[in-house]
This record gives sequence, C-alpha cells and structure tokens, in this order.
Amino acid sequence: MASVIEMKGNQQELFKHEIETTDMALFVRTSDEAMLGWDRQRIVDALMRETYVDFDTAKEVAREVEDLIATSKIKMITSPLIRELVDTKLVERGLEQARKMHTRLGMPLYDVDQLILHPNKENANVPHGPEATNLTLAERIKKEYALLTVFSQEIADAHMRGDIHLHDLGFIDRPYCSGQSLEYIKRFGLSLPNSIAMAKPAKHPEVLLAHMVKFAAALQSHFAGAIGWDSINLFFAPYLVGMSDQEMEQLAQMMIFEFSQQAVARGGQAIFTDLNLYWEIPKHFENVPAIGPGGEFTGKTYSDYLEESQRFAKALFDVYQEGDGSGRPFFFPKPLVHITEKFFQTPGHTDFLYHICDVASEKGNTYFVFDRGETAKISECCRLSFKLDQTDLEDAKHPWKMRYCALQNVTLNLPRIAYLAKGDDAKLFSKTAEFIEMAVKAHLEKKLFIEKLLSLGEKGPLALLAMERDGSPYLRMGRASFLVGMVGLNELVQIHTGQEMHQSKQAFKFGLKVIAHMKLLVDRFSQRYGMRFVLEQTPAESTAYRFAKLDLKFHSPKSGHIVKGDISKGEVYYTNSTYLNNSAVLNPIERVRQEGLFHPLIEAGALTHIWLGEARPSKSSLANFVVKTFQLTQNDQIAFSPEFTACNRCHRTSRGLRSSCAYCGAEDVEGITRITGYFTKLSSWNKGKLGELRDRYRNQAFFAQKNEGMAVEAG
Amino acid sequence: MIEIKGFLETSFSDWRGKICSVLFLPRCNFRCPYCHNHSLVFHPEQYATFSLEDILARLRSLRDWIDGVCLTGGEPTLHADLPLLVRKIKRHGFSVKLDTNGSNPAMLEELIEGGETDFISMDVKAPLEPFRYSRSTGLPVNLKPILDSIEILKKGKVEYEFRMTVVPGLHGEEDIRTLGGRLRVGQRFILQNFNPENPLDPSLRNIFPYDPKALKKIEKEVQEMM
Amino acid sequence: MGFIKIFTKAKCPKCPAAKEIGKELKKEGVSVLNYDLDTIDGLAEASFYSIRSTPSIVIEDEEEREVISWRGIVPTLQEVKQHLFPLTSSLSPSPGRGEG
Repeated sequence: MASVIEMKGNQQELFKHEIETTDMALFVRTSDEAMLGWDRQRIVDALMRETYVDFDTAKEVAREVEDLIATSKIKMITSPLIRELVDTKLVERGLEQARKMHTRLGMPLYDVDQLILHPNKENANVPHGPEATNLTLAERIKKEYALLTVFSQEIADAHMRGDIHLHDLGFIDRPYCSGQSLEYIKRFGLSLPNSIAMAKPAKHPEVLLAHMVKFAAALQSHFAGAIGWDSINLFFAPYLVGMSDQEMEQLAQMMIFEFSQQAVARGGQAIFTDLNLYWEIPKHFENVPAIGPGGEFTGKTYSDYLEESQRFAKALFDVYQEGDGSGRPFFFPKPLVHITEKFFQTPGHTDFLYHICDVASEKGNTYFVFDRGETAKISECCRLSFKLDQTDLEDAKHPWKMRYCALQNVTLNLPRIAYLAKGDDAKLFSKTAEFIEMAVKAHLEKKLFIEKLLSLGEKGPLALLAMERDGSPYLRMGRASFLVGMVGLNELVQIHTGQEMHQSKQAFKFGLKVIAHMKLLVDRFSQRYGMRFVLEQTPAESTAYRFAKLDLKFHSPKSGHIVKGDISKGEVYYTNSTYLNNSAVLNPIERVRQEGLFHPLIEAGALTHIWLGEARPSKSSLANFVVKTFQLTQNDQIAFSPEFTACNRCHRTSRGLRSSCAYCGAEDVEGITRITGYFTKLSSWNKGKLGELRDRYRNQAFFAQKNEGMAVEAG
Repeated sequence: MIEIKGFLETSFSDWRGKICSVLFLPRCNFRCPYCHNHSLVFHPEQYATFSLEDILARLRSLRDWIDGVCLTGGEPTLHADLPLLVRKIKRHGFSVKLDTNGSNPAMLEELIEGGETDFISMDVKAPLEPFRYSRSTGLPVNLKPILDSIEILKKGKVEYEFRMTVVPGLHGEEDIRTLGGRLRVGQRFILQNFNPENPLDPSLRNIFPYDPKALKKIEKEVQEMM
Repeated sequence: MGFIKIFTKAKCPKCPAAKEIGKELKKEGVSVLNYDLDTIDGLAEASFYSIRSTPSIVIEDEEEREVISWRGIVPTLQEVKQHLFPLTSSLSPSPGRGEG
C-alpha cells in the first residue's frame, strides 16, 4: 500500500507544471461537505489512485469531462455527478475493469426518501425508525460492495439472476451466526476489545445476566444472524444455589424481558437469541467441573446442580406462559428444549413436558429439539444446529471452548434448476451439481475475505472475534460451518415430475433423491477443501419470495403455473426448503413424519411447523404427540404455531387472526404469528409470506362439498 | 348406516391426553344460538359422505399414533345405529369418545353397559332449569332426559366430563357457580369460551367473549366443588 | 410374496454378510434390490425407510409396505425366509424393528 501512496505523491509533483485547468467559475460540492473550486487535476488523481489507467488516459478523460461540464454551463456540480461523467468516458473507451474500480456506491435520492418514510420488509425483525434506516442504508452499500469486490463476477451474477441467494450481503464483513457458551464470560468476565471498562467474572446471578446481555449485544454487531446459548439453565445453576422461588422467577423474568426488549441495539433490531434448555444434565457435561460465582470452580461437577438447573428451566417457562405485559407471546428469546433419551430417564420429565406443552399450546414459544441416540446438538439460528462430533465432545470438558459459527449461508433456487433441465433427469442432476459448485465457490470467496479481516487481529474490524483469552481466537475458523440452503424442493419436483411431493410416493421419493444428491455433493466438497459444508433448511423469509418473483420474470409462462400464492396480488412464493405444500390437507402426523424423512440428510438442522391457527390443544395431547414424534420419526425439531390478535386499544390478546378485537371490538389490532422461525407482527411481513400465511393448512376439520369437489374447512 | 360428513384425522383438542381422529355426524335436536357447526346440522346433504371403509383404512395407517376416535356432531345419539358404528371402530382396536348433549340417556346407558365407549363428554348448556335451558338450546327442552344422563354418567362406569360453553348474555358468573354446585364433579367440569366466529344466531357475532383469565379463575373455583 | 431391499455401504464390516443373503435369495427366485448408501438412489431409498445404519434389510409386500426390517444387524438366512414365505414356514414371533 505504502508504495502506491508514495508513487502518487511523486507523480503529483511531476504533473504540477503541466496543469492548465480552464479557469471555470464552478463550484463542486464534495462528499466531505466542502465546496471547492473546480480542479480538473482531482479527476486525474482519483483515476490514478483507484484504477489502473495510465496517466495520459486519465488526463484525457479529465479534459473531456471538463469540456462537457463547461459546455453545459452548470454553476454547481456534485462530486458523484463528476464521477458518473468520468465513468461514461471510461465506458466509451472500453475500460470496463477501470470503470468497476472507479464505481461510486450509494443510493438514489428517491430510494432514500422511500426508505426513511416506509418500513423495511426484508426482515420482519427490524422495526421502522431512524436506527433501522441507518441499518438499511449501510446494508445497501455493503451489499453493493460485496457484489463488486468480495465475490467474483460469476458468483455475483448468479446471485443477481437468482440462481443462488447469498444471504446477508449487507453484513458482508461478519460471519453469519453463532453458538455461544456462557462459561466463557463466567470464566473470563466481560473484557471486550476497544471497551473502556473491563469487568471481572460475575459474582451474582443478576450481574452474570447483565454480562450475558452486553456480550450478546457485542456479538450481534459481529454476526449477521442468530446468537444461540448452550444449556443456559445448567450454566446459570451454580449461581442459583439457595435462591427462593420468587427470586428465581424474578431472574427468569429479567432474562426474557432483557432479550425481548433489546430493540435499542443494532438497527432497533431485537437480538435473535436462542436459549437451549435441558431438563437433564446433558451427558457430555455430567462430570465437568462447574464454574460458579467469581469465575471460580466450585469443586463440584454439573451433575450436582440438577435441582437448580431444573428450577430455572421451570421458572423461564412460567414467564413464557404469562406472555408480555399485554399477554402477547415473547418474540425473543426463543426457548429450545432438547428432548433426548436421557430426558425420559430423568425424574419429573412428565410434569416438565406438560408445562412446556402448555406454553406451546397457549403461546407457541416452545421448540422441541430431538436429539436421538448419542447425538448432542446446539441450535442457534431459526433451525440451524450443530451436531457435536468427537472433538467437540472433547471440548465439552472445557465448556468455554464451545463456540461455533456458520460463516455464510448460500441458498439454491431449486425450481430454477428444474426449469433449466426441461424434464431431463441427467440435466437436472448436473445442474444441481453446478449450483452447489457455485455455492461452494461463494463460500471460499467469503472465507478469504473474513480471514483477511481477522488477520488484522485485535486492531482490526473484527477485534472481538480475534481476541484470544483462552489461547485460541474467539472465532474458531477451523470449526466453522458453511451452509448450503435450498428453497422450493416441492416446486422443483412439481416442474420435473408434474406432481407435488405430497401428491404421490414417486414425487416424494424424487424429492429425496434430489436432497440425497445434494448431501453427497456437499460431503465430497467438504473432503476436497477440508471445510464443513452442510445442508441447511434456509428460513428463507424473503428468499422464497425473491426467487418466485425472479422466476416469474425469467421463466414465464411455465413459472406462472408453479409459484404458490396469489399472482394477481403479487403475493407469490416458493415452498420453503424441503417442506411439503403449505396448503396441502395433511394431518400433523403425516407432515412431521414425511418432512422428517429429509431431516437426517440436512445436517445443519431442520424444523417442521405445525400451524395451530385458533385451536388451543390440550397440553397432554401435545405431550403425547411430542413423545411419539421422538419415538416414531426422524424429525429433528418441531414447533406449534398459534395465531394471535393483539388489540392496541384494550391491550388484550385473543386467539386467531381477526379484523377486530374479540374483547372490545376495536379495529386497531395487530396479527401475530410465526413467520419462519420466530414470532412477529403481520404488518411487517413481505408479500410472499403473506401469500403463504393465507395458504397455511391449520389442521381444520375436513368436509368435502358434494358434487363440486370443493373443500370446505371448519374451525 | 350413519352418514359420516366430516373427518379430522388428527386432533389434539378433542380428547385430553390423546391424539384422536374426529368423525362428524349430521343433524341435531337442539338449536343452540352459539352453535358454530350449524351447516352440518341443517344442511348435511351439502356435504359428501365419507365411507367408513376409507376412514378405517386411514386409521390403520396411523395406528401407531392415533389413540382413539371421537364421535361428534351434530348430536351423535340421534342415530339409532350409533352403537353399531362404535362397535365397528372398537373392533379395529381404537378407543372411542362420544360427544353428546345428553338428550338420549337410553342410548348412553346401552353404550356404557356394553362397554362400548371409553369416554363420554356431555355438553351442559345452562343451569338445570327448564327456562334457562330452553334459552340456551334455542327450543323447548324436556329436562328429564338431561338429568337422567347426568346421573348415568356420574355413576362413573365410564370416564366422563361435563362441558359448558360460556356465552356472555346467556350465562353469568353466578350461573356457572350454580351449575358447578349442582354437578359437583370437580375437575370433570370444564368451561369453554364462546367463539363469536360464525354462530347460528348472527346477532351473537357482536358479543364479546369472556376474558380467558377470568374464565380460568371461575373454572378453578367450580372445579373445587366436589 | 413380496420383495427384499438390502442397504449397504462400501466400507462397513457386516455388509458382505447381508449381501450374501441377498445372493442366496436371488438364486431362489426372490426379487432382491440392492442399495448402496454412497449413491444417490441408495441414499434416497434409505432415507425413505429411515435407514440410519448399515447393513439393513427390509422386506416389503406387493404394495411396497414394510413387512419387517433388520437395521444395523444381519439376520440369518433362515429368519429372512420365515418372513418371506410366512405360509410355508412355521410362524415365529416377529423380531421387532431392530435397533435402527
């Protein structure tokens, strides 16, 4: 870098006497809020600094631009406009690469105006406000930056076309999501790079909670997505000895409210937090020395804290059951309860299961994560989970080491593959391989970029992730996952075979074949590069909408018969990941069983939604269903999603989605239900997801209308 | 044979603790203004009939999951061949739950004596007085069979519960306490909140249901009456 | 009589024994389908039957419904035959679904 600057200095000296700027009475408004007189040399300097064009060309371009401006008789000009004019001259000369290097990133006035006045619908978790606007503006520029410089043109184009989707481009300078261990802050306190004060390990549970919340906020600004916390009830337990029920409940309340009200953080966005909870002491922590107040080992192992751990888990669910101040479900943090073989061997599990099922029925919060056999998992994102392998289990002896991350998520547009294959099996499979190869390439490119940032260490932009408190950097690149997601398997099968997956066994098996193919491919790439490429069910909150819109453009008229939703309203979408059609009349058993057959192939985690609508099932029936799902299926994770209407007048919350409040009749109401992996208000949903919401089959009773074959469903 | 007009393969809310399938049977002898299955009651001919064979085949394929079958309506006991249907389902190894309004005690007795049903859930519409009952059921009702059914169930030869749908305007808090005091069945008395969506009497659409928390509180209170 | 599906992987110690059973049955005219979990078709079919360990053997009836399966274990040829030709051999209690 240094040599470039020097060279620039030298050249400037050299050029000085050659300057013969036309004496124009023209002012330039620059980006650093200054008004300068016209100086053609600035164009030359910029071209020499930013691109590879030679001095003569630069001079010539500058003169041409000057002529253009002079003849236009403009009095005031902005530097972005000059840059555009220079770029057209570069294009005229065929200097494509130089133009790219000279590009200005930014947004049209109109767009900024729209953005400040209207809410962002790409991510329903972002409220609308000045902070949110800042976030979106920054994201827009970083997104352009990513597509221009981080990724190769081939990958950037594939993203723009919609063959693949590179997630969170606006957060290009951060990894995607992560799983945390509370043990880290218990042991090392809160000592963040660049922060003014260093806090020693917490002595009291409230302080530990404060550290956790601060640390989560710090992490949120270093990751694009979710922050998951492993075995949180267990790791809090050594701090909870001797606590009364009331104190315990108070702490649980503080934890949930803290995380649900963190809307003052980045872009006014609540931290996407997952709390992983266990009723038992997870096998891999049984004999691990416990860390207690002051970061000291207590002299006991975690097995000795079963009672506190269980009481805290119960207390957390008491809070979930109550809901927030107006009885609405908490959107965050999400509680994920791990159901394991040991769960069923641990006394009190039936009551606890009823309790969490009661919450599932009443408020919907509970996620049931099934860890069958010997697998142990940590979940973090909407459904992203990590299976712990042998080295991880070795780490479990030092739980503060258990920090994981996924570096990026790239999703394939599966229906696109089917349009391109035109019914030819061989072509379909080779195209799939091609798309996966693109995803892998995208991962390699992002990895290179992040490694560059990390190499700057504690003085660089990712100081927090580079800090070494326990002998290795906080972000352990060797353990990172690289996610390959998918959208619209159902539509791929529909285009290719003429039937949707729920319509015939052949169609369903074909879907399995596509995913099996993908699984074998990512395994092969993992071997080749020594990296962990894994399939994931992309939550695809906006990707399912984006792909459908792009395919309506590029693959019409065929796509018109394939996309789901209502084309006339623009509410179009593809079915998420490997899901079966949302509107198919499939009972929850079939859905959990059939969707579950895909889950073992999708290593980074999968989830089946059961849309409850208005129904309020009995907790013991849900518990019955959860147990059977564990025993009889391969399903990875399930969640029951009720729907709510919250009234802005009487501040009460009723069941079901209504146009007016069930209690006071006010029409100022807000619908609430799960969008993908989390609850949110309907008013923030994008059109694609609204289309899906209308289609969701909510396990209504089924009546077939006579003669007309029309289905009528009753609540 | 009874015509089956609706089939819900899986329900988590019709039989506590169980995963059950629900069969909807047509017609009813009551006209409760808050009924929301009324098109099934008045216009069963609009709906196609499910064949029992198909239903049983479906149940067989779900047998690891489904614990029982719930028969509801309409009013199932209006069909003279209900016991036959119950027996057929039982023969395939499924428990049977029956929803009834209690207007046919003879059939309840027959089903119980034959050991054919595993659970009976009886809707109690109002405090047990002719006038109140008639108002809640939309037509003049003879209370005798209702009272008989209550007595039959309370003998406890089969598992049972009494359910009351609470509609503001039709039922006050005092009514619930009166009924609870009369039945004295503890946790077997269940309150259900009124749902203003699509009731038989359209004027009820403007009635706002009770606050669920308040209702839970009363339920707890009456469930303590033994 | 139905048919039999055998799921194996290249590197798995007990798989040759399962394949051997397949060969024997083929000689007797039984339709045997072999699936290798390292191939697309094999992995997809295994997923459909929730096969999580190799070798596994599944017997199906004419309508492709599972009659019995051995997962992660190798039954004797005799055991398999009992379930393939239930009418010709004496009925024995089913060994359950294995430890899939």
